[in-house]
Amino acid sequence: MTSLIEGRKVNAPTGLPIAIVANILWNLAVALGSVILGLTILGMEGNFYELGRPVQMFAGAVALIPALAAAISIVLLLQKHYNGRYVALIIDFGTLALSVIALLHLWGVFIGFDAIARALYDNVIWLLGVPLAYFLYWIAGRLSDDTGIRRVLEQIALLIGMGSLILLLFFGGILNAVGYILSRYSDPLVILFTVVLILSAAMFVAMLRLGSYFHETPTQSEAWQGWLMLSPNIIGFLLFFAGPLLLSFYLSFTNDTVGRVPEIIGLRNYGEIISLQVKTQTDLTLNPQNALDGNYELLADFTIGSTRYVLGARDKLFWYSLRNTFLYCLLLLPLSVLPALLLSLILNSQLPGMKIYRAAYFLPSVAAVVGTALIWRWLYDPVIGFINYGVGGIVTWLNSSFGMSLADPKIEWLTNEGTVLLALVLMGAWQVIGFNTVLFLAGLQQVPKILYEAAYVDGAGTWKRFRFVTLPLLAPTTFFVLITTIITGLQVFNEPYALIFQRPMPLNATTAVYYLYNRGFFRFEFGYASAVAWLLFAVIFTVTLIQFRVQQRSGFDAYSGG
Amino acid sequence: MFNFKRTLRIVMTLVVVAVMVAPALSASAQAVELRWRTRPDNQAEADVYKGISDEIQADWKDVKLTYEPGGTETAGYQDTLIAEIEAGTAPDVFWIPGTDVARFANAGLILNLAEASAADAEFKTEDFYAGPMAALTTSLDDKPALWGLPRDVSAFAIYYNADLFDEAGVDYPAAGWTWDQFYKAAEAISGLGGDIKGFGMNAWWANWGYFVNSAGSRFFSDDKKSCGLNNEKTVEGLTFARSLFENNLAIPWGTDSEPPFLAGKLGMFLNGRWATPGTIANAKFKWNVGPLPSGPAGSVNWLFWGAYVVNAKTAHPAEAWQLVRRLTSAAIQGKVAALGANLPSRTSAEAVEAFEKSLPDSGVNNSVFSDSLKDPNFVVAETPLFFGDWPAIDQAYGTAASDVLNGKLSPQEFADTICGKVEQFFTK
Repeated sequence: MTSLIEGRKVNAPTGLPIAIVANILWNLAVALGSVILGLTILGMEGNFYELGRPVQMFAGAVALIPALAAAISIVLLLQKHYNGRYVALIIDFGTLALSVIALLHLWGVFIGFDAIARALYDNVIWLLGVPLAYFLYWIAGRLSDDTGIRRVLEQIALLIGMGSLILLLFFGGILNAVGYILSRYSDPLVILFTVVLILSAAMFVAMLRLGSYFHETPTQSEAWQGWLMLSPNIIGFLLFFAGPLLLSFYLSFTNDTVGRVPEIIGLRNYGEIISLQVKTQTDLTLNPQNALDGNYELLADFTIGSTRYVLGARDKLFWYSLRNTFLYCLLLLPLSVLPALLLSLILNSQLPGMKIYRAAYFLPSVAAVVGTALIWRWLYDPVIGFINYGVGGIVTWLNSSFGMSLADPKIEWLTNEGTVLLALVLMGAWQVIGFNTVLFLAGLQQVPKILYEAAYVDGAGTWKRFRFVTLPLLAPTTFFVLITTIITGLQVFNEPYALIFQRPMPLNATTAVYYLYNRGFFRFEFGYASAVAWLLFAVIFTVTLIQFRVQQRSGFDAYSGG
Repeated sequence: MFNFKRTLRIVMTLVVVAVMVAPALSASAQAVELRWRTRPDNQAEADVYKGISDEIQADWKDVKLTYEPGGTETAGYQDTLIAEIEAGTAPDVFWIPGTDVARFANAGLILNLAEASAADAEFKTEDFYAGPMAALTTSLDDKPALWGLPRDVSAFAIYYNADLFDEAGVDYPAAGWTWDQFYKAAEAISGLGGDIKGFGMNAWWANWGYFVNSAGSRFFSDDKKSCGLNNEKTVEGLTFARSLFENNLAIPWGTDSEPPFLAGKLGMFLNGRWATPGTIANAKFKWNVGPLPSGPAGSVNWLFWGAYVVNAKTAHPAEAWQLVRRLTSAAIQGKVAALGANLPSRTSAEAVEAFEKSLPDSGVNNSVFSDSLKDPNFVVAETPLFFGDWPAIDQAYGTAASDVLNGKLSPQEFADTICGKVEQFFTK
């Protein structure tokens, strides 16, 4: 038999080690299981968990992938090809991870997460023994090796630590838990997955130990160790990000709603969202809406000469939300980037207490949005809000000091169409500034001091040093800050959701992500909402791409900084 | 050599894993397991519901009950529920607001309990308020229907700051007072100057809806299959409501009126019974509740409600129905009523009495709420729209009503155009 990659065959003695034989058999079992699972999925009657036939086909195809991988692995292992080991390792690890997830599910762990938190909360007092044990152990470590007291202290610490953990376990309900787990073994599936777990773990370990048999180099060893370390993230990405992402892409071409099987409707959702109509009107006394077809709503109109141009949209709210989102972004950029740059220059100084200020400015970025939105709602209150108190105070001072007769504007921040978006931006900027400041600060600390000294010697003043040293060397950071701020701005959701009290949301406060949330969760139109999400993705992607291009044309590479 | 740190690390890892697994699995295996959820407005309510669950459990050995305190209204109760329904992991019994019953039923997400209730000799729809039960028994296919049972009900009242009324020299709100008296009271209180306003209400459908209802109009036609707002009574109601904002007597539309009220800057606040516990806890002035003022068609109050419904995918429909029955029993409703946040959904004298005795030390005039629901001619029940898309209609109604109250649209234009705008959202 010819090897797939002849030059990489292992020159090993004739005959296969038992671990490889076992893995070949295990791969055969996995392949068989994969084929059975795939065919079962493909042959299932009904609506496949109300997701429809296309998802069923896709899931069936995905379920058959391990069979293909197992076949390749078997062939390569029989050839003693070292790539066979890697494919086998992936299969072993994959089955191990999936069986762990399946077992946790069958044991009821996922659905009982609230109970887990509650049990930890209720019994957390028992964990006090652990810091006490560490404290005693720390004291023991300060004593001489040959003193008997040290040994006694260590043993006491061990007893306290273990005792408190055992008590936590006991009062957390471990005995009931063990009993419950055992009772779950009346279910054949639980037994099956436990067997799969044990076997796949054994195969994985056995295959790992065959490094020398396959003449594994240190680089190869580091590679699989790296992938192993990355695996939780990769599995999480595939399960919780890539999977839903693909599903939402599929749903965007359907009429999906809660509790119904989605039907494919092609590009109808996208068409509905982006359809625009331009009409002209010569009789300017007529209502502009009359110029449009029945299913179009007036988006804008303008008159040139004696002709009125009327722009209509099938989904007016989407266009409004997109406009609001762009406006939000445009305002957010200067209000969050420039102050952040200024703050970072101040915070970069060596004055005492700067670390406290740095932490303080970062706090809004890590504070819960709902909590801070509540505070901002009170600040913006037109009757009792501090902002209007401040504005009123300034007006009173101007009137009394300069004999002016200004009226207190009593700004209705969150209810006036002219101010609501600005109110959102101010809160958003307040949250983003801290994060941007930290990024700029990190960038500033990378600027070599010798350049400042050289500029100083050449006679450059503060402004010139900032203009010709700081700014150019801060360009990579600035680019990153701009990109992340724009993406944050285009995805704005929390601010309007938590800050605006009025329902339905005022038109000028409806952002694109809030709009898609509203279509999905309030109107149950998940297909339509998915289409809005993908269009928004396209917008963000395009904007980011343009930024990269512009940045490249200006001769700066974001990654190399050169 | 024994390594304490290593041993401790191993033990701790094992313990953490075991503790994570343990509580979730601590339930002993039983034949029937039911999960149920309702939306508490605060921790005190969540604790009461947990107590109720424990009480039912103590008396019902065949079933293992798990109460899951859902998030509050602002903490995504509904979003979580929808996501769980999509994922097939929603509880067996859960609470939803009255307006949502129709779309849950239409989408096949909740069980029709008509058969189970017919077999239940002790169950009578007449035990509950007629409005919610009429909605909950709406049939989609000419077969008998019962989509759930109301957990509790609520109503609006005028929360008033008695100190401001005294200062303005105005009589407190009392039975039979009219829009004219209400307007004059708002005017007098606003006349106190500074930041003080006469009236405030929050920006959602029921608030402007009260003015429309009390003027004699309704959101929908009698059969609930079309819009009902294209009439002069709507114009009259909205014109009066708008005058409060136009003449600067009210907190701007869209602003949360609760903070100014609690800060003592607001004379009258239109709000539901759910606000009473919070007002008791936070108001530092003399206050009470009064009836809604009478418009041209009288003092028409809303009857708000939400219902316990059964997940269409429950594995134990019979037990789930039993749980709904137990959760809406007179005894359990008495316990919920004692919290003072809502009224029982049962109309019996005992239920009303239990509510009226709630919050005994507060001095709150509880009967304002219960009295307002006694005459069905002056009550409009929150309406689940079985033959229309309520979220879309709410969006259209709400946007246009906001335009009226903000002065961008005249009440007449509202009445002339609103039904055309929402026509597409009704099922033909």
